[in-house]
Amino acid sequence: MAKIIIDGQEVECRDNIPVLQAAVDAGWDVPHYCYHPGLSIAASCRLCLMEMKMPHPQTKEMGWAPKLMPSCQTPAREGMEVRFATEKVQQNQKNCMEFFLLNHPLDCPVCDQAGECHLQDYSYKFGDPESRMVDQKLKNPKKDIGPNTLLYSDRCVMCTRCVRFTDEVSGTHELGLVNRGSRLEIDVFPGLPLDNPMQGNVVDICPVGCLLDKDFLFQRRVWELSTASSICPGCATGCAIRVDHADDKVYRLKPRYNPGINDWWMCDEGRYGFKYIEDSKRVTSPIVRRGLDATSPEWADIPEIVQFRFEQHVRENGGEKLAAVLSPFMSCEEGWLLIEFMRETAPECTLVMGPVPMEGDDQSFPVGATGDKVKFTILNEKCPNRRGVEMLLEAAGGNQCSFDEFVEKAGGGSFTAAWIVGGYPKEWVSKELNKATGKIDLLVVQDLLQNSLMTSAAFVFPACSWAEREGSFVNAGGQIQPFDWATNPPEGGRRDGQYLYEIAGYAGLYNGERVRKLMAAKIPAFKEIHEPPVRPVHAH
Amino acid sequence: MAAFEPVLLRNRGVEQSTTLKVYESRGGYQGVRKALKQTPDEVVEEVKNANLRGRGGAGFPAGVKWSFLPKDRTRTLLCVNADESEPPTFCNRILMETDPHQLIEGTIIAGFATQSQTAYIYLRVEFHEQFHIVQKAVEEAYAAGYLGKKIFGSEYSLDIYVHRGAGAYVCGEETGLIESLEGKRGWPRIKPPFPAVEGLFGQPTVVNNVETLSCLPHILERGAEWFTSIGPDHSAGPKLFCVSGPVKNPGCYEGPMTISVRDLIERNDLGGGMRDGKKVKCVLPGGVSMGALSVDELDMKLDFADPRNYGLLGLGTAAAVVIDESVDMRMVLQNLARFYGTESCGQCTQCREGTSWMYKIATRIASGAGRISDLDLLLETARNMGMMPGYSICGLPDGATYPIETIIKKFRPELEASINAQAPGKAEALFTVLN
Amino acid sequence: MSWITVNRNEPAIDPNAPPILSAALCEKIRSLFPRYDTKRAVLLPALHMVQDGLGHIPWQAMKEIADILEIHPSDVIDTISFYTHFWTHPKGMKVITACRSVSCETMGGVAVLLELKKQLGIGEHETTPDGRFSLVTEECLAGCDHAPCLLINEKLHRCVKVEDVGRILADDNNDRISQKRSDLFDAPAGDSKSKDVSGLESTSDVAEMKASE
Repeated sequence: MAKIIIDGQEVECRDNIPVLQAAVDAGWDVPHYCYHPGLSIAASCRLCLMEMKMPHPQTKEMGWAPKLMPSCQTPAREGMEVRFATEKVQQNQKNCMEFFLLNHPLDCPVCDQAGECHLQDYSYKFGDPESRMVDQKLKNPKKDIGPNTLLYSDRCVMCTRCVRFTDEVSGTHELGLVNRGSRLEIDVFPGLPLDNPMQGNVVDICPVGCLLDKDFLFQRRVWELSTASSICPGCATGCAIRVDHADDKVYRLKPRYNPGINDWWMCDEGRYGFKYIEDSKRVTSPIVRRGLDATSPEWADIPEIVQFRFEQHVRENGGEKLAAVLSPFMSCEEGWLLIEFMRETAPECTLVMGPVPMEGDDQSFPVGATGDKVKFTILNEKCPNRRGVEMLLEAAGGNQCSFDEFVEKAGGGSFTAAWIVGGYPKEWVSKELNKATGKIDLLVVQDLLQNSLMTSAAFVFPACSWAEREGSFVNAGGQIQPFDWATNPPEGGRRDGQYLYEIAGYAGLYNGERVRKLMAAKIPAFKEIHEPPVRPVHAH
Repeated sequence: MAAFEPVLLRNRGVEQSTTLKVYESRGGYQGVRKALKQTPDEVVEEVKNANLRGRGGAGFPAGVKWSFLPKDRTRTLLCVNADESEPPTFCNRILMETDPHQLIEGTIIAGFATQSQTAYIYLRVEFHEQFHIVQKAVEEAYAAGYLGKKIFGSEYSLDIYVHRGAGAYVCGEETGLIESLEGKRGWPRIKPPFPAVEGLFGQPTVVNNVETLSCLPHILERGAEWFTSIGPDHSAGPKLFCVSGPVKNPGCYEGPMTISVRDLIERNDLGGGMRDGKKVKCVLPGGVSMGALSVDELDMKLDFADPRNYGLLGLGTAAAVVIDESVDMRMVLQNLARFYGTESCGQCTQCREGTSWMYKIATRIASGAGRISDLDLLLETARNMGMMPGYSICGLPDGATYPIETIIKKFRPELEASINAQAPGKAEALFTVLN
Repeated sequence: MSWITVNRNEPAIDPNAPPILSAALCEKIRSLFPRYDTKRAVLLPALHMVQDGLGHIPWQAMKEIADILEIHPSDVIDTISFYTHFWTHPKGMKVITACRSVSCETMGGVAVLLELKKQLGIGEHETTPDGRFSLVTEECLAGCDHAPCLLINEKLHRCVKVEDVGRILADDNNDRISQKRSDLFDAPAGDSKSKDVSGLESTSDVAEMKASE
């Protein structure tokens, strides 16, 4: 740790981090475009210049250097003294803002970035309201640079963050610069568009409205969006994300800073992977069947019906005929509540880990990197919580079997009652499973999308998408990461946690944290959860 | 003053001066033989004693620059900066087309002093004939065993490659040159790390100008004391001066750094006075980036110290262009603003936007649609983008602001008179956007 | 989507097109690898070679150079577009580069450039319909002692007066230089006299133009 003095105040920071970072972390709003903590230093936007005390070249006496220094490029060292709150520094910020806006089209009313644009914010805070340029502006073209991304080069501030991202993080090098001077533009080689599994991040790191996500283009003004902290369910990496939503509709996902796990990034698969929330095949209300009779009772009545039917079944057939298949898409809390209920009803019941979807190989970035050089990994395990469910199963002990064994045993008639949890965003029910469940009298299917199991199920419960639930996932690295709900379940639905909470015998409102406390009392591992540090509001 | 005996240009006018044979017959490749018998540190010391200041424009002492190389380095690279692009400078061109072996000899000495294994001569692409001359000289030197393994029977080996640029002023900045050599756009690098620590291909690198290197054989041959005996203390050694514009004898001349701008224009052995009875109005004495002098300031000495007294950035390349009274200063302003607008690399905000804005304003003024307030706007833009170092990664915007500022300050009455003489309303009619 | 003016998803290269760079040229590019620590450092020399051989650097050639140097094609266009010397579209057999430095402009360069435009009937960065000349300007050719000056391919013409322009343009040898060429680089593609030196199979428009003459 080093102590440095910023504007007369002592600030403690890690040794050798850029002074800019130290200042931003300590609450200073130092304007910057080119600096991004996850990328190399470019020091080219020249907005973050500061004054610095340096020894005089001749007398060696410490004094304020006449020259302004880029704070992003200057490492913090014990005892150094810098200042931002001076006229010279502020004059430079004002000059820069005028320069940035010289050729800017000022098309904020039709710009998606408006509302979260650092050109707007900095102009307001550091710039002058009027431009003195009376000459014709340069007009750079708007470009379609890839399947998911547009580049409005007229809005570009040439921070080159996106170029450095494709060079240093994704390692795919699609983006480059063309021309020079004021004609400089970001571009791709024609026919080799920006198309890599990490490309969406360039839109996030673009401080202005130059890089735009086609998926979000003109969908919603950003100030109308609410946001929820979440964890991406797309793979076992467990990226911390933000779910931006309005009117119970998810509009976009953005990564949250999560050092050591996803840092500042997320992949496109996760980013655009939320569309199934609005799938027309979503199950939205519970169904209870008795013989050929199907009803959709009030949610309030369901816990009692379920408890009664299961208890009756155990009495008639014995507890060992009972099985529960847990899904790696469940949160730890939901899994724990279900296990509580099942083991309460029949301690000898069999617990099963549901199928774990695997696709292809892990993808590491930058492309071709290995070992320490890897900055981001998309895992081939396409579910968020296999480890969490495994932790629960390990703690629960007792009768357990693999999913394949379950299918085989169920096919052989070993189970007469089973609670099968799905939640997979893709079709997952195999022919074998379908056939095997035919032998099960009391079948509960808790799933997101309609599937063939439901036709013979005694209970069908709508599962919610992760954006409608709260709880925690345990990622491949073993970190227990809580996530919040963003939107409400579709009309008629109810959060899985809530009905499982009630079925497991608890009263009141389900709350992830409260359940985690209950769990932690029995499984100490759940005492420690991983929550990413909150980035200062001025950081970007 | 006694006639100056040319040092760097001593072979100019000699038949076939570019050949190894002629260069050697006139005493060439003696300095390097002497150098190779010493230790590298002794050579560095000698050059430091000679107080050889870099001739590329910044005037940084070459020996000191070499001593920044880390002591424990295993590899060193030497770059020869032959990207002479500063208008109106052409002394490196003259050196290369008259005496390429002098450059090669200097390069070997610098290479030995810095213990470089490889030297790259970064030559601007517009130097076509010079490229063929230098390339041929390098081949000749290889054939004679003066380059390659174990030069002159010593343990020292050096390879020289000629590398052509492709047309970018900013590649004359040493880190821009390094980036360009690496096959990238010539964007100057942020410092630190300085090239001496981490330069070309991440290796300790020294970049020296052609004229600086051409001085080395003479320093080694005749000694530091002889070198410092030429010119004033702070500006030792012979220097090439260029003069262009409507003088009788435009060209490149050599002399001690005691001559003034007036000497350069008027002395018969130098510029020879103005042509066709023209009168001097303005002189840009150090390459355009250093700023302009008015006719009253011609007594400025062309050394490393005096230009600061005249509001100029420095000596620069000591290449003066004379502008006579028939030239409209609005056009000069536009020309200079265009140069920087075209040559800004675009990396730093102030320079990228500032130079092109200044060009727009200057163009408007030149087209007869200027306002008096535009002159102040130009001055302010200049102040906002350059003048004070630190606004940008390299010195280009500083160089872009000095000529603009000095011309407006020193020729304001003329500029204002031109603006006032414009057809009324023309300025307003051109304001096509906003406001 | 009408607001998009450039679609970069459209390939500039036919994926089935045969290679445009000859094996000999590729070998020549590779032969420079030992000179530098990185392959990318060979980019500028390679671009010079390709432009000298083909007259300009077509998209296809950029891709092939990128493959040889093991870099992404976007890095090649990045570098090319930074420098003024490289042409990404066909140019005339002779490129006239007029100097517009402050020395040349104040010494009559403006009039010379105007005369060039008039006689050639083209503007800056344009090529005559017969493909003989392209006209560009350069900020300084370092020929200020002979201002105003202009380059025709490699040949520097000094102290050009307006009345000289016609004669210079008419001279077949206006791009001949006296220096013996080093064998590392070829003559510019427009240099008809040294065709034998280039020895490259070129398929560019310039070469076709030459062949049809």
